[in-house]
Amino acid sequence: MARTLTFKIFRYNPTKENDEPHIDTFELEETPRLNLFTALHRIREKQAPDLMFDFVCRAGICGSCAMMINGRPTLACRTLTSDLADTIELYPLPFFKLLGDLSVDTGVWFHDMAKRVESWIHTGKVFDPNVEEERMDNAVANKIYESERCIECGCCVAACATAQVYPDFLGAAGLNRIGRFLFDPRDHRGEQEWFELVSTDIGVFGCIGMMACDDVCPKDLPLLEVFSYIRRKMNSGVKVAVKELDLA
Amino acid sequence: MTGIDTELYPKAESRHSQQSGAFKKAKRALLDERVSGLTGAFLALFILGHLILESSILVSAQLYEDVAYFMEHTVPMAQPLIFLVTIVFFVHFVWAGRKIPGKLRDRKKMLELGKKLKASRKGWQQDPNSDIHLRKHFETTLWIWQVRTAMIVLATGAFHLFLVMWNIFTDMGVDGQTVGLTADVATSRVESGLWILYAVLMISVVAHMAIGVYRLIVKWFADTWFVRNYAKALYYFLFWFYTILGTATVIAMAGPLEGILS
Repeated sequence: MARTLTFKIFRYNPTKENDEPHIDTFELEETPRLNLFTALHRIREKQAPDLMFDFVCRAGICGSCAMMINGRPTLACRTLTSDLADTIELYPLPFFKLLGDLSVDTGVWFHDMAKRVESWIHTGKVFDPNVEEERMDNAVANKIYESERCIECGCCVAACATAQVYPDFLGAAGLNRIGRFLFDPRDHRGEQEWFELVSTDIGVFGCIGMMACDDVCPKDLPLLEVFSYIRRKMNSGVKVAVKELDLA
Repeated sequence: MTGIDTELYPKAESRHSQQSGAFKKAKRALLDERVSGLTGAFLALFILGHLILESSILVSAQLYEDVAYFMEHTVPMAQPLIFLVTIVFFVHFVWAGRKIPGKLRDRKKMLELGKKLKASRKGWQQDPNSDIHLRKHFETTLWIWQVRTAMIVLATGAFHLFLVMWNIFTDMGVDGQTVGLTADVATSRVESGLWILYAVLMISVVAHMAIGVYRLIVKWFADTWFVRNYAKALYYFLFWFYTILGTATVIAMAGPLEGILS
């Protein structure tokens, strides 16, 4: 027996004059293996042609379809309506800039985060094509890979109560990015450089351990493990950092 | 600088020194975090021991007095400990409290998000065969409860500390002979109507401590063998074990149940 789903969708177009934020209700027959990607497209085709939402890959890789689904930030393309109650409430992710309806701009925040973290390998080495490449320990490579799997959907930041209050906070995605470069032996940033960036209240010590990022991450990244590593690294790294500075 | 091409990153070299504002700030942030974590860990250990020793009254009044005598006279540690705990108590309040947003609007934002995440399970009727493993989330509200209990502990705990400090150094023995804690003194405190305060303090302090231990372990040791699930199990154990033990102790000290109800 197919259910009739009720969609309550947050609507607001900031570019339209006199538009007020409100909730629109739509009804849709549930079909087998229906996911929210298809459901939202059906609503847009038949009921609300001006409905705004983001989708690119529909396979949980691009990270653009994150939204609040029945109170939980997650990827709409990976959400089957069979996992949801009869009434489905959709809101845009909090924290990020609203573009309209369910569409938010995560790009600006992630770009800014990447610049603050200096999200690239810092090395003075000149590439020599004739030399055999250096080997990396497999465990290290796996650790880097795990952090690198982040798709920048923004669910972790949307679920973080600290980020809502302190917008400068690097958030789970930012700390995870830091972890990725801390693990990497090719990155030659010194301890004191890391220390100044990470051992701050907008860095790892801004995290108060509410763990929502870990619970909602659609890619199941080992976020808490990375944060603990960074914390202890900062705790023990301060001595090394002082030494480095004395030598400099 | 270690191997950084300063032509590409000209800022990299100049901005780092031990005197630089950024470095000092980072050192300060680390110190703050250490102070709040270590004082919390100390107080948690103290409470774990304190409640166990306090519950010795469940065995017999004699055992309770023996324990008190041992800690006050044989090895006089109760007297210095009460000062130490009082100091750490307030230091912990200031340092751990720095994370509580000052504005009501901000606290409301956190509360709203926490409630939403906690309630979200109602909107999700997870199919056991589903591809997505959905974890229930209540730790955000747990933190809010930690803040609430912190306020209760600050008020009632400060009163308790004062009372104990007063008792420990003055002749409060009911028989007019002893200096220090006896079963009579403890019972008379609780019996004389303070049981409400002690019950509230006990439950708040246990909840605050259990949540704090859970979060402290997750923050610092989640990448060791002590993973989050173990920390969570420890949280449940600490909360329920000490709540039951503490409740029994408060009831025992308050006298028979009829006495409370009348």
